[in-house]
Amino acid sequence: MQRQFDEQINKLKNRLLKMSSLTEEQLQLSFKAIKEENLTIPDIVFENEIKLDKYDFKIEKSCLKLFALNQPVALDLRLIMAAMNLSTDLERIGDLAVNICQNFLKVKKKPEFYEKTKFEEMANIAISMLNDSIDSFIENDVAKAESVIKRDQELDALNNDNDEILIKIMQEDPKFIQEAVTFLEICHQIERCGDHATNVAEDVYFISEAQIVKHNYEKYIYKEYDKEINENDDEI
Amino acid sequence: MNELHKEKIEVNNLNFYYGEVKALKDINFHIHGNKVTALIGPSGCGKSTFLRILNRMNELIEDARVEGEVLINGQNIYRSDVDVVELRKKVGMIFQKSNPFPKSIFENVAYGLRVGGFSTDKKFLEERVERSLNQAALWDEVKERLYESAFGLSGGQQQRLCIARSLAIEPDILLMDEPASALDPISTAKIEELIIELKKNYTIVIVTHNLQQASRISDYTAFFYLGELIEYAKTTKIFTNPGKKQTEDYVTGRFG
Repeated sequence: MQRQFDEQINKLKNRLLKMSSLTEEQLQLSFKAIKEENLTIPDIVFENEIKLDKYDFKIEKSCLKLFALNQPVALDLRLIMAAMNLSTDLERIGDLAVNICQNFLKVKKKPEFYEKTKFEEMANIAISMLNDSIDSFIENDVAKAESVIKRDQELDALNNDNDEILIKIMQEDPKFIQEAVTFLEICHQIERCGDHATNVAEDVYFISEAQIVKHNYEKYIYKEYDKEINENDDEI
Repeated sequence: MNELHKEKIEVNNLNFYYGEVKALKDINFHIHGNKVTALIGPSGCGKSTFLRILNRMNELIEDARVEGEVLINGQNIYRSDVDVVELRKKVGMIFQKSNPFPKSIFENVAYGLRVGGFSTDKKFLEERVERSLNQAALWDEVKERLYESAFGLSGGQQQRLCIARSLAIEPDILLMDEPASALDPISTAKIEELIIELKKNYTIVIVTHNLQQASRISDYTAFFYLGELIEYAKTTKIFTNPGKKQTEDYVTGRFG
Protein backbone atom coordinates (compact mmCIF):
# COMPACT_ATOMS: atom_id res chain seq x y z
CA MET A 1 0.00 0.00 0.00
CA GLN A 2 1.37 3.42 -0.98
CA ARG A 3 1.16 5.75 1.95
CA GLN A 4 0.77 9.51 1.95
CA PHE A 5 3.50 9.33 4.53
CA ASP A 6 5.97 7.86 1.99
CA GLU A 7 5.69 10.99 -0.09
CA GLN A 8 6.68 13.10 2.91
CA ILE A 9 9.55 10.74 3.69
CA ASN A 10 10.75 11.06 0.10
CA LYS A 11 10.63 14.83 0.33
CA LEU A 12 12.72 14.64 3.48
CA LYS A 13 15.24 12.36 1.79
CA ASN A 14 15.48 14.68 -1.21
CA ARG A 15 16.13 17.64 1.01
CA LEU A 16 18.85 15.70 2.81
CA LEU A 17 20.46 14.83 -0.50
CA LYS A 18 20.51 18.44 -1.61
CA MET A 19 21.94 19.45 1.72
CA SER A 20 24.65 16.79 1.54
CA SER A 21 25.80 17.78 -1.93
CA LEU A 22 26.02 21.40 -0.86
CA THR A 23 27.98 20.39 2.25
CA GLU A 24 30.37 18.41 0.12
CA GLU A 25 30.79 21.37 -2.20
CA GLN A 26 31.50 23.66 0.75
CA LEU A 27 34.26 21.44 2.04
CA GLN A 28 35.75 21.05 -1.45
CA LEU A 29 35.70 24.84 -1.89
CA SER A 30 37.42 25.51 1.40
CA PHE A 31 40.25 23.12 0.48
CA LYS A 32 40.45 24.55 -3.03
CA ALA A 33 40.83 28.06 -1.64
CA ILE A 34 43.96 26.96 0.22
CA LYS A 35 45.40 24.73 -2.51
CA GLU A 36 44.97 27.42 -5.14
CA GLU A 37 45.61 30.35 -2.79
CA ASN A 38 42.34 31.78 -4.00
CA LEU A 39 41.06 34.68 -1.87
CA THR A 40 37.65 34.97 -3.50
CA ILE A 41 36.44 31.41 -2.84
CA PRO A 42 35.84 32.07 0.91
CA ASP A 43 33.12 34.57 -0.01
CA ILE A 44 31.25 31.86 -1.91
CA VAL A 45 31.59 29.57 1.08
CA PHE A 46 30.28 32.24 3.46
CA GLU A 47 27.30 32.82 1.20
CA ASN A 48 26.45 29.13 0.86
CA GLU A 49 26.60 28.71 4.62
CA ILE A 50 23.27 30.55 4.93
CA LYS A 51 21.68 28.02 2.56
CA LEU A 52 23.01 25.13 4.62
CA ASP A 53 21.57 26.60 7.81
CA LYS A 54 18.23 26.92 6.06
CA TYR A 55 18.31 23.27 5.03
CA ASP A 56 19.11 22.25 8.59
CA PHE A 57 16.22 24.33 9.89
CA LYS A 58 13.78 22.97 7.31
CA ILE A 59 14.80 19.37 7.87
CA GLU A 60 14.42 19.68 11.61
CA LYS A 61 11.02 21.24 11.13
CA SER A 62 9.78 18.50 8.83
CA CYS A 63 11.09 15.81 11.19
CA LEU A 64 9.22 17.45 14.04
CA LYS A 65 6.07 17.44 11.94
CA LEU A 66 6.52 13.83 10.89
CA PHE A 67 6.99 12.78 14.51
CA ALA A 68 4.03 14.73 15.79
CA LEU A 69 1.53 13.84 13.11
CA ASN A 70 2.47 10.30 12.16
CA GLN A 71 3.97 8.74 15.29
CA PRO A 72 6.41 6.76 13.13
CA VAL A 73 7.66 3.36 14.29
CA ALA A 74 10.25 0.81 13.17
CA LEU A 75 12.11 1.73 9.96
CA ASP A 76 10.21 5.01 9.58
CA LEU A 77 11.16 5.98 13.12
CA ARG A 78 14.82 5.15 12.61
CA LEU A 79 14.97 7.03 9.36
CA ILE A 80 13.49 10.21 10.79
CA MET A 81 15.66 10.04 13.90
CA ALA A 82 18.72 9.57 11.72
CA ALA A 83 17.63 12.39 9.41
CA MET A 84 17.70 14.81 12.33
CA ASN A 85 21.19 13.71 13.30
CA LEU A 86 22.37 13.73 9.72
CA SER A 87 21.22 17.26 9.18
CA THR A 88 22.99 18.41 12.34
CA ASP A 89 26.25 16.76 11.27
CA LEU A 90 26.10 18.18 7.76
CA GLU A 91 25.45 21.61 9.15
CA ARG A 92 28.45 21.26 11.46
CA ILE A 93 30.66 20.25 8.54
CA GLY A 94 29.42 23.38 6.77
CA ASP A 95 30.45 25.45 9.80
CA LEU A 96 33.89 23.85 9.74
CA ALA A 97 34.29 24.70 6.03
CA VAL A 98 33.59 28.30 7.00
CA ASN A 99 36.14 28.10 9.84
CA ILE A 100 38.74 26.70 7.48
CA CYS A 101 38.19 29.62 5.09
CA GLN A 102 38.37 32.12 7.96
CA ASN A 103 41.65 30.61 9.06
CA PHE A 104 42.97 30.68 5.52
CA LEU A 105 42.15 34.37 5.29
CA LYS A 106 44.45 34.93 8.26
CA VAL A 107 47.46 33.61 6.34
CA LYS A 108 46.21 34.40 2.80
CA LYS A 109 48.72 32.03 1.15
CA LYS A 110 50.36 28.68 1.50
CA PRO A 111 53.12 28.96 4.07
CA GLU A 112 56.68 27.92 3.24
CA PHE A 113 56.33 24.69 5.21
CA TYR A 114 53.09 23.75 3.38
CA GLU A 115 54.56 20.72 1.60
CA LYS A 116 55.80 19.27 4.89
CA THR A 117 52.29 19.20 6.42
CA LYS A 118 49.67 16.46 6.05
CA PHE A 119 47.07 19.01 4.93
CA GLU A 120 46.39 17.64 1.44
CA GLU A 121 46.37 14.03 2.54
CA MET A 122 43.95 14.85 5.35
CA ALA A 123 41.76 16.92 3.05
CA ASN A 124 41.52 14.03 0.57
CA ILE A 125 40.53 11.54 3.24
CA ALA A 126 37.96 13.88 4.77
CA ILE A 127 36.36 14.45 1.37
CA SER A 128 36.30 10.75 0.58
CA MET A 129 34.79 9.98 3.98
CA LEU A 130 32.06 12.54 3.50
CA ASN A 131 31.48 11.33 -0.05
CA ASP A 132 31.17 7.71 0.96
CA SER A 133 29.03 8.41 3.99
CA ILE A 134 26.55 10.25 1.78
CA ASP A 135 26.70 7.48 -0.84
CA SER A 136 26.08 4.91 1.85
CA PHE A 137 22.97 6.84 2.85
CA ILE A 138 21.70 7.07 -0.72
CA GLU A 139 22.44 3.45 -1.52
CA ASN A 140 21.65 2.17 1.97
CA ASP A 141 25.05 0.49 1.84
CA VAL A 142 26.08 -0.66 5.32
CA ALA A 143 29.48 -1.97 4.21
CA LYS A 144 30.37 1.45 2.82
CA ALA A 145 29.21 3.09 6.05
CA GLU A 146 31.46 0.77 8.04
CA SER A 147 34.43 1.59 5.81
CA VAL A 148 33.92 5.28 6.62
CA ILE A 149 33.85 4.54 10.35
CA LYS A 150 37.15 2.67 10.01
CA ARG A 151 38.81 5.39 7.94
CA ASP A 152 38.31 7.88 10.74
CA GLN A 153 41.21 6.27 12.61
CA GLU A 154 43.45 6.88 9.63
CA LEU A 155 42.52 10.53 9.66
CA ASP A 156 43.11 10.78 13.41
CA ALA A 157 46.57 9.25 13.01
CA LEU A 158 47.47 11.72 10.26
CA ASN A 159 46.27 14.54 12.43
CA ASN A 160 48.57 13.42 15.25
CA ASP A 161 51.52 13.21 12.86
CA ASN A 162 50.66 16.64 11.55
CA ASP A 163 50.62 18.07 15.09
CA GLU A 164 54.13 16.79 15.66
CA ILE A 165 55.39 18.11 12.36
CA LEU A 166 54.00 21.59 13.00
CA ILE A 167 55.27 21.69 16.58
CA LYS A 168 58.72 20.82 15.28
CA ILE A 169 58.52 23.59 12.68
CA MET A 170 57.59 26.08 15.39
CA GLN A 171 60.38 24.88 17.66
CA GLU A 172 62.93 25.14 14.88
CA ASP A 173 61.95 28.58 13.69
CA PRO A 174 59.69 30.83 15.81
CA LYS A 175 58.95 33.08 12.84
CA PHE A 176 56.58 30.35 11.60
CA ILE A 177 54.59 30.23 14.83
CA GLN A 178 51.63 32.28 13.67
CA GLU A 179 51.20 30.45 10.37
CA ALA A 180 51.86 27.07 11.94
CA VAL A 181 49.24 27.64 14.65
CA THR A 182 46.72 28.59 11.98
CA PHE A 183 47.53 25.47 10.00
CA LEU A 184 47.30 23.39 13.14
CA GLU A 185 43.79 24.71 13.59
CA ILE A 186 42.86 24.08 9.97
CA CYS A 187 44.00 20.48 10.21
CA HIS A 188 42.11 19.99 13.46
CA GLN A 189 39.04 21.29 11.68
CA ILE A 190 39.55 18.74 8.92
CA GLU A 191 39.81 16.06 11.56
CA ARG A 192 36.50 17.26 13.02
CA CYS A 193 34.92 16.99 9.55
CA GLY A 194 35.97 13.35 9.56
CA ASP A 195 34.24 12.86 12.92
CA HIS A 196 31.02 14.29 11.53
CA ALA A 197 31.26 12.14 8.39
CA THR A 198 31.67 9.20 10.76
CA ASN A 199 28.50 10.24 12.57
CA VAL A 200 26.67 10.27 9.24
CA ALA A 201 27.93 6.75 8.54
CA GLU A 202 26.86 5.64 12.02
CA ASP A 203 23.38 6.98 11.33
CA VAL A 204 23.23 5.00 8.11
CA TYR A 205 24.22 1.94 10.11
CA PHE A 206 21.45 2.71 12.58
CA ILE A 207 18.79 3.10 9.87
CA SER A 208 19.61 -0.24 8.39
CA GLU A 209 20.71 -2.36 11.35
CA ALA A 210 18.77 -0.69 14.18
CA GLN A 211 21.92 -0.65 16.28
CA ILE A 212 23.49 2.40 17.80
CA VAL A 213 27.23 2.22 17.11
CA LYS A 214 28.37 5.70 18.05
CA HIS A 215 31.12 6.45 20.57
CA ASN A 216 32.85 3.20 19.63
CA TYR A 217 29.87 1.73 21.34
CA GLU A 218 30.65 -1.89 20.75
CA LYS A 219 34.27 -1.63 21.69
CA TYR A 220 34.00 0.26 24.95
CA ILE A 221 30.51 0.24 26.29
CA TYR A 222 28.73 -2.71 24.81
CA LYS A 223 30.50 -5.40 26.80
CA GLU A 224 29.84 -3.75 30.11
CA TYR A 225 26.16 -3.22 29.53
CA ASP A 226 25.74 -6.27 27.37
CA LYS A 227 23.51 -8.08 29.81
CA GLU A 228 21.42 -5.12 30.75
CA ILE A 229 20.85 -4.16 27.14
CA ASN A 230 19.83 -7.65 26.18
CA GLU A 231 17.45 -7.90 29.07
CA ASN A 232 15.81 -4.61 28.33
CA ASP A 233 15.72 -4.41 24.59
CA ASP A 234 15.91 -7.64 22.81
CA GLU A 235 13.60 -10.36 21.79
CA ILE A 236 12.27 -12.61 24.49
CA MET B 1 14.72 -15.60 36.64
CA ASN B 2 12.80 -12.88 38.38
CA GLU B 3 9.57 -13.96 40.03
CA LEU B 4 7.69 -11.28 38.13
CA HIS B 5 8.82 -12.71 34.84
CA LYS B 6 7.56 -16.19 35.47
CA GLU B 7 5.34 -17.66 32.83
CA LYS B 8 1.78 -17.17 33.83
CA ILE B 9 0.14 -18.56 30.75
CA GLU B 10 1.65 -21.16 28.51
CA VAL B 11 0.05 -22.06 25.22
CA ASN B 12 1.31 -25.15 23.45
CA ASN B 13 0.49 -26.27 19.91
CA LEU B 14 -2.86 -24.57 19.99
CA ASN B 15 -5.25 -24.97 17.07
CA PHE B 16 -8.72 -23.56 17.07
CA TYR B 17 -11.59 -24.26 14.69
CA TYR B 18 -14.91 -22.60 14.05
CA GLY B 19 -16.56 -25.62 12.39
CA GLU B 20 -14.32 -26.38 9.44
CA VAL B 21 -12.52 -23.05 9.57
CA LYS B 22 -9.16 -23.12 11.30
CA ALA B 23 -9.03 -19.79 13.06
CA LEU B 24 -5.75 -20.28 14.95
CA LYS B 25 -2.85 -22.31 13.66
CA ASP B 26 -0.28 -23.96 15.86
CA ILE B 27 0.14 -21.20 18.40
CA ASN B 28 2.96 -21.48 20.92
CA PHE B 29 3.10 -18.64 23.32
CA HIS B 30 4.28 -17.84 26.84
CA ILE B 31 2.71 -14.91 28.62
CA HIS B 32 4.61 -13.42 31.52
CA GLY B 33 3.08 -12.73 34.89
CA ASN B 34 2.55 -9.14 36.10
CA LYS B 35 3.15 -7.78 32.64
CA VAL B 36 0.91 -6.28 30.01
CA THR B 37 0.85 -8.26 26.79
CA ALA B 38 -0.78 -6.64 23.76
CA LEU B 39 -2.24 -8.68 20.94
CA ILE B 40 -2.24 -6.79 17.65
CA GLY B 41 -3.12 -7.63 14.08
CA PRO B 42 -5.66 -6.81 11.39
CA SER B 43 -9.34 -7.68 11.84
CA GLY B 44 -9.98 -11.39 11.58
CA CYS B 45 -6.42 -12.36 12.42
CA GLY B 46 -7.48 -14.39 15.44
CA LYS B 47 -6.36 -12.15 18.27
CA SER B 48 -9.80 -11.86 19.93
CA THR B 49 -10.36 -15.57 19.40
CA PHE B 50 -7.08 -16.20 21.15
CA LEU B 51 -8.03 -13.91 24.03
CA ARG B 52 -11.32 -15.74 24.53
CA ILE B 53 -9.55 -19.07 24.56
CA LEU B 54 -7.78 -17.99 27.74
CA ASN B 55 -10.98 -18.16 29.80
CA ARG B 56 -12.84 -20.66 27.64
CA MET B 57 -15.32 -18.09 26.38
CA ASN B 58 -15.17 -19.73 22.99
CA GLU B 59 -17.06 -22.68 24.34
CA LEU B 60 -20.19 -20.58 24.12
CA ILE B 61 -19.90 -20.79 20.33
CA GLU B 62 -21.36 -23.84 18.68
CA ASP B 63 -19.01 -25.94 16.57
CA ALA B 64 -15.94 -24.36 18.13
CA ARG B 65 -13.11 -26.78 18.85
CA VAL B 66 -9.78 -26.43 20.61
CA GLU B 67 -6.68 -28.56 20.13
CA GLY B 68 -3.50 -28.30 22.14
CA GLU B 69 -3.09 -27.07 25.66
CA VAL B 70 -3.40 -23.83 27.58
CA LEU B 71 -1.69 -23.84 30.96
CA ILE B 72 -2.47 -21.19 33.52
CA ASN B 73 -0.21 -21.37 36.55
CA GLY B 74 0.86 -24.75 35.22
CA GLN B 75 -2.64 -26.19 35.03
CA ASN B 76 -4.28 -27.12 31.74
CA ILE B 77 -7.55 -25.18 31.66
CA TYR B 78 -8.98 -27.45 28.97
CA ARG B 79 -8.84 -30.55 31.11
CA SER B 80 -12.29 -32.06 31.54
CA ASP B 81 -12.30 -31.68 35.32
CA VAL B 82 -11.67 -27.93 35.30
CA ASP B 83 -14.57 -25.89 36.69
CA VAL B 84 -15.22 -23.14 34.14
CA VAL B 85 -16.88 -20.88 36.67
CA GLU B 86 -13.84 -21.08 38.93
CA LEU B 87 -11.59 -20.49 35.93
CA ARG B 88 -13.45 -17.34 34.94
CA LYS B 89 -13.21 -16.04 38.50
CA LYS B 90 -9.46 -16.23 38.10
CA VAL B 91 -9.42 -14.94 34.54
CA GLY B 92 -11.60 -11.85 34.31
CA MET B 93 -12.65 -10.17 31.10
CA ILE B 94 -13.39 -6.61 30.05
CA PHE B 95 -15.08 -5.96 26.75
CA GLN B 96 -15.03 -3.22 24.15
CA LYS B 97 -18.43 -1.96 25.12
CA SER B 98 -18.86 -1.42 28.81
CA ASN B 99 -21.72 -3.59 30.06
CA PRO B 100 -22.82 -2.52 33.54
CA PHE B 101 -25.85 -4.26 34.96
CA PRO B 102 -29.07 -2.25 35.43
CA LYS B 103 -28.27 -1.86 39.08
CA SER B 104 -26.64 0.63 41.38
CA ILE B 105 -22.93 1.32 41.18
CA PHE B 106 -22.44 -0.53 44.46
CA GLU B 107 -24.42 -3.56 43.35
CA ASN B 108 -22.55 -3.76 40.07
CA VAL B 109 -19.28 -4.21 41.90
CA ALA B 110 -20.78 -6.43 44.60
CA TYR B 111 -22.60 -8.63 42.10
CA GLY B 112 -19.79 -11.07 41.46
CA LEU B 113 -19.23 -11.41 45.17
CA ARG B 114 -22.90 -12.14 45.85
CA VAL B 115 -23.30 -14.78 43.15
CA GLY B 116 -19.80 -16.14 43.38
CA GLY B 117 -20.13 -17.69 46.81
CA PHE B 118 -18.17 -15.04 48.67
CA SER B 119 -19.23 -13.79 52.07
CA THR B 120 -22.37 -11.67 52.00
CA ASP B 121 -21.40 -9.90 55.17
CA LYS B 122 -22.24 -6.21 54.71
CA LYS B 123 -18.93 -4.97 56.01
CA PHE B 124 -17.00 -7.35 53.79
CA LEU B 125 -18.96 -6.25 50.74
CA GLU B 126 -18.48 -2.56 51.51
CA GLU B 127 -14.79 -2.96 51.99
CA ARG B 128 -14.33 -4.98 48.86
CA VAL B 129 -16.44 -2.58 46.75
CA GLU B 130 -14.49 0.42 47.99
CA ARG B 131 -11.16 -1.28 47.38
CA SER B 132 -12.13 -2.39 43.89
CA LEU B 133 -13.42 1.03 42.93
CA ASN B 134 -10.21 2.51 44.27
CA GLN B 135 -8.12 0.10 42.24
CA ALA B 136 -10.14 1.03 39.18
CA ALA B 137 -9.44 4.73 39.90
CA LEU B 138 -13.17 5.41 40.15
CA TRP B 139 -13.82 5.69 43.90
CA ASP B 140 -13.40 9.44 44.21
CA GLU B 141 -15.80 10.06 41.36
CA VAL B 142 -18.58 7.80 42.63
CA LYS B 143 -18.27 7.58 46.41
CA GLU B 144 -21.08 10.10 46.91
CA ARG B 145 -23.50 8.23 44.68
CA LEU B 146 -22.84 4.56 45.20
CA TYR B 147 -26.51 3.70 45.25
CA GLU B 148 -27.43 5.53 42.05
CA SER B 149 -27.83 3.68 38.78
CA ALA B 150 -24.64 2.70 36.98
CA PHE B 151 -26.22 3.96 33.75
CA GLY B 152 -25.80 7.51 35.01
CA LEU B 153 -22.04 7.21 34.62
CA SER B 154 -20.11 8.39 31.56
CA GLY B 155 -18.74 5.85 29.07
CA GLY B 156 -15.27 6.00 30.56
CA GLN B 157 -16.63 5.68 34.09
CA GLN B 158 -18.80 2.72 33.07
CA GLN B 159 -15.75 0.99 31.65
CA ARG B 160 -13.80 1.57 34.86
CA LEU B 161 -16.83 0.27 36.77
CA CYS B 162 -16.64 -2.93 34.73
CA ILE B 163 -12.96 -3.17 35.59
CA ALA B 164 -13.82 -2.67 39.27
CA ARG B 165 -16.45 -5.41 38.96
CA SER B 166 -13.82 -7.77 37.58
CA LEU B 167 -11.34 -6.83 40.27
CA ALA B 168 -13.83 -7.40 43.11
CA ILE B 169 -13.57 -11.16 42.83
CA GLU B 170 -9.77 -10.93 42.90
CA PRO B 171 -8.84 -12.47 39.58
CA ASP B 172 -5.32 -13.40 38.66
CA ILE B 173 -5.46 -12.43 35.02
CA LEU B 174 -7.41 -9.70 33.25
CA LEU B 175 -8.31 -10.10 29.59
CA MET B 176 -9.27 -6.91 27.82
CA ASP B 177 -10.79 -6.74 24.37
CA GLU B 178 -10.44 -3.21 23.00
CA PRO B 179 -11.29 -1.70 26.40
CA ALA B 180 -10.83 1.90 25.34
CA SER B 181 -11.87 1.94 21.71
CA ALA B 182 -15.21 3.60 22.38
CA LEU B 183 -13.82 6.23 24.74
CA ASP B 184 -12.64 9.82 24.35
CA PRO B 185 -8.90 10.59 24.74
CA ILE B 186 -9.14 11.59 28.42
CA SER B 187 -11.05 8.46 29.40
CA THR B 188 -8.69 6.41 27.27
CA ALA B 189 -5.72 7.91 29.06
CA LYS B 190 -7.32 7.06 32.42
CA ILE B 191 -7.89 3.45 31.36
CA GLU B 192 -4.31 3.22 30.08
CA GLU B 193 -2.88 4.61 33.32
CA LEU B 194 -5.07 2.18 35.18
CA ILE B 195 -3.79 -0.78 33.16
CA ILE B 196 -0.18 0.17 33.88
CA GLU B 197 -1.06 0.49 37.57
CA LEU B 198 -2.93 -2.80 37.66
CA LYS B 199 -0.09 -4.88 36.28
CA LYS B 200 1.59 -4.71 39.69
CA ASN B 201 -1.05 -7.14 40.92
CA TYR B 202 -2.47 -8.70 37.79
CA THR B 203 -1.38 -10.21 34.53
CA ILE B 204 -3.02 -8.35 31.70
CA VAL B 205 -3.63 -9.45 28.13
CA ILE B 206 -5.13 -6.79 25.91
CA VAL B 207 -6.40 -6.84 22.36
CA THR B 208 -6.13 -3.48 20.67
CA HIS B 209 -6.34 -2.02 17.19
CA ASN B 210 -4.68 1.11 18.47
CA LEU B 211 -0.99 0.52 17.90
CA GLN B 212 0.02 3.62 19.82
CA GLN B 213 -1.95 2.29 22.73
CA ALA B 214 -0.17 -1.06 22.50
CA SER B 215 3.19 0.70 22.41
CA ARG B 216 2.31 2.97 25.34
CA ILE B 217 1.03 0.41 27.79
CA SER B 218 2.35 -3.03 26.97
CA ASP B 219 5.58 -4.78 27.92
CA TYR B 220 5.23 -7.45 25.26
CA THR B 221 3.49 -7.41 21.93
CA ALA B 222 2.25 -10.32 19.87
CA PHE B 223 1.44 -9.82 16.22
CA PHE B 224 -1.18 -12.16 14.75
CA TYR B 225 -1.92 -12.54 11.07
CA LEU B 226 -4.28 -14.98 9.35
CA GLY B 227 -4.55 -17.11 12.46
CA GLU B 228 -0.83 -17.35 13.01
CA LEU B 229 1.36 -15.81 15.65
CA ILE B 230 3.87 -14.05 13.42
CA GLU B 231 6.03 -12.35 15.99
CA TYR B 232 6.12 -12.08 19.75
CA ALA B 233 8.72 -9.85 21.37
CA LYS B 234 9.25 -7.02 23.78
CA THR B 235 7.13 -4.07 22.76
CA THR B 236 10.21 -1.88 22.32
CA LYS B 237 11.55 -4.30 19.77
CA ILE B 238 8.30 -4.60 17.85
CA PHE B 239 8.08 -0.82 17.50
CA THR B 240 11.73 0.00 16.87
CA ASN B 241 13.13 -3.02 15.09
CA PRO B 242 10.64 -5.76 14.34
CA GLY B 243 12.16 -9.07 13.34
CA LYS B 244 9.70 -9.96 10.60
CA LYS B 245 8.86 -8.08 7.43
CA GLN B 246 5.12 -8.66 7.99
CA THR B 247 5.31 -7.10 11.44
CA GLU B 248 7.23 -4.13 10.08
CA ASP B 249 4.63 -3.63 7.35
CA TYR B 250 1.80 -3.82 9.84
CA VAL B 251 3.16 -1.47 12.51
CA THR B 252 4.25 1.11 9.95
CA GLY B 253 0.88 1.00 8.22
CA ARG B 254 2.20 -0.37 4.93
CA PHE B 255 -0.02 -3.40 5.19
CA GLY B 256 -2.28 -4.62 2.40
